[in-house]
Amino acid sequence: MTALLDVSGLVVTYRTARGVARAVDGVDLVVPHGAMLGLVGESGCGKTTLARALMGVLPGNARIAAGRVVLDGTDLVALSPTARRDKLWREVSFVPQSAMNSLDPVYRLRSQLREVLVGRGGLSRAEADVRADTLFRAVGLNPDRLADYPHQFSGGMRQRAAIALALALSPKLVIADEPVTALDVIVQRQVLDTFRRLGEGMRVATVFVTHDISVVAYLCSLVAVMYAGRIVEYGPADDVLARPAHPYTMGLMNAFPDLVGPEQTLAPIQGSPPDLHDPPPGCRFAPRCPFAFDLCRESDPARTTISEGHDAACHLALDAPALRARAAMAETWI
Amino acid sequence: MGGVKPLVVASALHKAFPTSRTLRQILRGQRPVVHAVDGVDLALAPGQSVGLVGESGSGKTTMGRLLLKLTEPTSGTITFGGERMATLSGNRLRRFRQQAQLVFQNPFDAINPRFNVRRTVAEPLVNTGVPRAEHAARIEEALRRVHLGDPARWLDKVPRELSGGQLQRVVLARALVVRPVFLVADEPVSMLDVSVRAGILNLMRELRAELGLTALYISHDLTLVRYVCERTLVMYLGKIVEDGPTDAVVTEPGHPYTRALIQAVPRPRTDQSRAELPISGGLGDPVNPPSGCRLRDRCPHAFARCKEQEPPLREIAPGHLAACHLHG
Repeated sequence: MTALLDVSGLVVTYRTARGVARAVDGVDLVVPHGAMLGLVGESGCGKTTLARALMGVLPGNARIAAGRVVLDGTDLVALSPTARRDKLWREVSFVPQSAMNSLDPVYRLRSQLREVLVGRGGLSRAEADVRADTLFRAVGLNPDRLADYPHQFSGGMRQRAAIALALALSPKLVIADEPVTALDVIVQRQVLDTFRRLGEGMRVATVFVTHDISVVAYLCSLVAVMYAGRIVEYGPADDVLARPAHPYTMGLMNAFPDLVGPEQTLAPIQGSPPDLHDPPPGCRFAPRCPFAFDLCRESDPARTTISEGHDAACHLALDAPALRARAAMAETWI
Repeated sequence: MGGVKPLVVASALHKAFPTSRTLRQILRGQRPVVHAVDGVDLALAPGQSVGLVGESGSGKTTMGRLLLKLTEPTSGTITFGGERMATLSGNRLRRFRQQAQLVFQNPFDAINPRFNVRRTVAEPLVNTGVPRAEHAARIEEALRRVHLGDPARWLDKVPRELSGGQLQRVVLARALVVRPVFLVADEPVSMLDVSVRAGILNLMRELRAELGLTALYISHDLTLVRYVCERTLVMYLGKIVEDGPTDAVVTEPGHPYTRALIQAVPRPRTDQSRAELPISGGLGDPVNPPSGCRLRDRCPHAFARCKEQEPPLREIAPGHLAACHLHG
């Protein structure tokens, strides 16, 4: 079966006062039907730009300079703006970090859902109301609350209402940008479980943008690690998180404390992601990588397959077991 | 606390804030209040690093502000080094302002974007009347302390030339420059990026070991608290519901709320429990909190007594307290 989303060679550039920044620079990414993919990386690695490019909502100074975004067999980049908007409207939806960015404060939830279901989905009012009830139940909200305004909801309920709104037209793909970052742990867990049910019960594919490895571990079946505009590691979450093959992934894992388990020393990755106006030659992670050698500074590593479905863009990818042992020691990262 | 005199002591501390009123309440002359802090007793030993954990709305930030005398309690007392805080004024208040420092959540909000690092870090020195001649040395000491070594490199930089992590270090340096004995950090890393966070957490650990500061870290993130603090307090709707050595609180939580907080934290590995949380819903209503135990309407273990009687903090193991009827 072909993948739902197949991105290849995607380049997104921003025109800024200082020139052209390639925020997404040659991304290949596959999202199978019904998969829950976690897109992780530090701020400034291009995660949000990639998500926005997939949604077709790039800001005015950004453009897709190259590449293909194939959704269910159709290349979105090649479509006319109208045709693209139409397809995106039906098949892709978005959950933002703050639910208030997708909910309208002056309308009751029922009328907001009705607007989408009747206006875009072509349902009758009565059908729309039935569907709204179903959607609210699907995200664990009481349908009685459809009569409420967003401000009458708590933060977590609002986020779930935003998810219900995103699911209104039965999209094939949901893109969620840091949707749980602003929430308290207990509420965060409830929203994560709502997302988990989407993947399991409704077979909606989700691209879940986050900086939190633990959230990915909890929720996702697939992981794509992004660094400086590129995907540097990709594979099943079980495999990537237990056996990371890219030093950047290893570094991210080391920087995350585990609440339970033995006391550990965190090892921050020194430095920060490169300026994408002028990225370093060779591997972009080389300046921060404790294992970098001459080749890394000269030649850009291609994505190498490590095991079934798991690849990493590192010259040393096949030596990953040895690197992991060294990466586990805090001294390595000083 | 083994005979050592505590540095900060709060007794029966209350802080109520008026809430917005409905027309009916205005007409009836009712003035509803939120009890942000509702009867807290607390003693912090010198040199202790204490984490204060709770959800938004639990009162933890208000607690921090009270201990720094940034807001006055509605009732109850706080003493600092044996002195009653409510009566501090003039020179004694100035001295307190130097000894107790706050580290803000968002470094971008905490400092003036037009001040360079030198001026930012010097500000508290000026405010506390440290002689000018000493400034350069004190600034350098503070910057080294937060690992912004080679101070010459940083002194003339303005905030926009610094990364988030560097900026948070500058904010810390500014708090440390007056050599405080008490530090309150409110969500000190929640705005920072992953790898930067790890560096700041390590720095806070180091400060605890080297400076012997008494510190209160306020956070919703138990993971951070476990990493930095030896003692943990858990707050729920204005009350402390658990207090104990961090390891004991994390591994053998005594309160159902703490247990839920721990269970809710996702872990960086795929083989983790995804079992449903024992506690559902959001924080209760702080204006009209439930009678008896405030968690009772969310608690799976609640029984008749929880409705009738408020559980006091009881010792469940040496130095480990929990306010739950299951323990008594």
